[in-house]
Amino acid sequence: MASTQTNVDLTSAPATSASGLLVSLVPLPQEAFDATLSNLALAFPDQTVLVATPDAVPQSSSGSPLRFLPYTLTAVSATPWVLTAADYLNTYKLARENNATACVLLGAEAQSLHPEAIRALARSALESDLTLAHYDLGPREGLVNSAIFYPVTRALYSTRPRFPLAIDISLSIRMAERLATTAQRFTAAGQNDGLLWPLSEAASANFSVAEVSIGTRTLPQPAVPDLNALLAHIASSFFADVDAKASFWQRARGTQPAQSLTQTATIAERPDIASMLDAFRLAYTNLHEIWSLVLPPNSLLGLKKLSVMSPDTFRMPDNLWTRIVYDFILAFRLRTINRGHLLGALTPLYLAWVASHLTLISNGTAPEKHIQDLAVAFETDKPYLVSRWRWPDRFNP
Amino acid sequence: MWQQVELALSQSAHRVLVKLASFLPGLLALLLAVIILAAIGAGVAVLLRRTLTAAKFDERLARNATAVISDWSPANSPTALIARVAFWGCILIGCFIGISAFDAAYPGDSPISNFIIPYLTHSIGAVLLLIAGTVIARFLERSVLIGAVNAKLQYARILSLGIKWLVLVLTAAMVLDHLQIGGAVVELAFGILFGGIVLTLALAVGLGSRDIVSRSLERSADLRSTLDPIPGDPDYKPATPAETLRHF
Repeated sequence: MASTQTNVDLTSAPATSASGLLVSLVPLPQEAFDATLSNLALAFPDQTVLVATPDAVPQSSSGSPLRFLPYTLTAVSATPWVLTAADYLNTYKLARENNATACVLLGAEAQSLHPEAIRALARSALESDLTLAHYDLGPREGLVNSAIFYPVTRALYSTRPRFPLAIDISLSIRMAERLATTAQRFTAAGQNDGLLWPLSEAASANFSVAEVSIGTRTLPQPAVPDLNALLAHIASSFFADVDAKASFWQRARGTQPAQSLTQTATIAERPDIASMLDAFRLAYTNLHEIWSLVLPPNSLLGLKKLSVMSPDTFRMPDNLWTRIVYDFILAFRLRTINRGHLLGALTPLYLAWVASHLTLISNGTAPEKHIQDLAVAFETDKPYLVSRWRWPDRFNP
Repeated sequence: MWQQVELALSQSAHRVLVKLASFLPGLLALLLAVIILAAIGAGVAVLLRRTLTAAKFDERLARNATAVISDWSPANSPTALIARVAFWGCILIGCFIGISAFDAAYPGDSPISNFIIPYLTHSIGAVLLLIAGTVIARFLERSVLIGAVNAKLQYARILSLGIKWLVLVLTAAMVLDHLQIGGAVVELAFGILFGGIVLTLALAVGLGSRDIVSRSLERSADLRSTLDPIPGDPDYKPATPAETLRHF
């Protein structure tokens, strides 16, 4: 295993000294900014904390623990709901200039974070190189993360954190430096909005990783809710990162111990999955030819069975979804078809998984249990990905 | 009489031999130019492939996330794409050099120089047009098909096939025009075919969208009658499960 994980308990002893701590904020509306500053002051009542913010800095009172570091945004982010390359690079630069020893990055809607959660992130930064937030989400939230990012990251990198693309994270200075180096490649190419995958970076550098449960939080949503474009954008970045770190994850061994299940609520009423099933069936009729370039016959047979299932019994087996995701990652690497087309062809399959997941949890299965079962299926099937990655032309029924 | 016939025959045989003698070196020069440039192209391609592989060009490109080149490389890496472009570029240059050499073997006023050489050059251009047209047609067909399926359009297949044939018909017309075959007949046929496909698509999309438009209008009418009910209002309905689905 490449990294160690710890879960930081919010209820444990108060935070250790946070001197040299830099808290980096993304642009926030005035009201949210004021609320966030109040929470920061509550989180660190007796320690001086550097707060990097692009927003207008208020006059701080002499007794305030917050010391502001205003910075200027070079460009307005097109994806303000996730942390981007520019955020990581900017944070590291400010941390280095001010001799900070640890950094905490808080994403959009940071005002909804509890002061204790911020304190727990800061405390964890002194013990681990990377700490990711663990959110308590509803059964219908963060579905792309549950379907693809979490199980694939856990299987490939043998890491445990549930939200690989968490927007609230804390970093040791060496982790911040590593991420800034990666971020610089994006910003140098004019891609300030490039996405970074801190968990895979930490795992491949053998840095320690921790996860902090911060409870509920208002998660920012994309301004334009176009699932096709967003899924293609983020999955493309994720698959490219998997491709770039192939030499590491092919060696990474071991599975993670079972995670204690958080009690996410089940769905009381039956979900409306008709539109998702329609989208899948329409795609099955029209995209079969394209899928057949990417998926082996066995998976195509599984999809054929799915296409004739009734909504009440609609269930995509975990191993089928696992194979689909792995085969799409392989096709992305091999450029079997144009990558834009490939990711476009993934959307209806993802919707079929969502429909299956919602049907399952409406029948009484705990949402988190299904996600953990899925993650285990990805771990079990990892040898398939490794084998096909190394010998893509080998016979594959 | 027989003497005149013999003389005419020997003169024509002589002319044929002279033409052949002047044709063969030109042809040989063309073939040589193509073969030599193909060999140079193969060498350049191998050299490029090795250099770029050693420099980890693919990995750097992937890391820098400039996906433009890698997106267009069909089934291999960007390195393979660059090597292939270099190889076929050399062959193309060889063709042009060969044709120039072929042309130089004839006096400027000969029919070969005036007609065949330009036609040969046009043929190469036509082949390139055909390849480019076919690739673009296939790319657009898939783009439209996937986009239309994701937009849940029932007529996605018809739309993508229509786009594909529009581009193919346009390519065929351009190729024939480039080769100067058919003249006005091609233009007329192209106009009829192109217009026919557009009309078919318009009808298919128009008829297929009839329900969508009616539903949209009905929704607008419903919205006007029940504008923004608030909680506590008898008409107020809580958000449906589908509305609260969050993928990110």
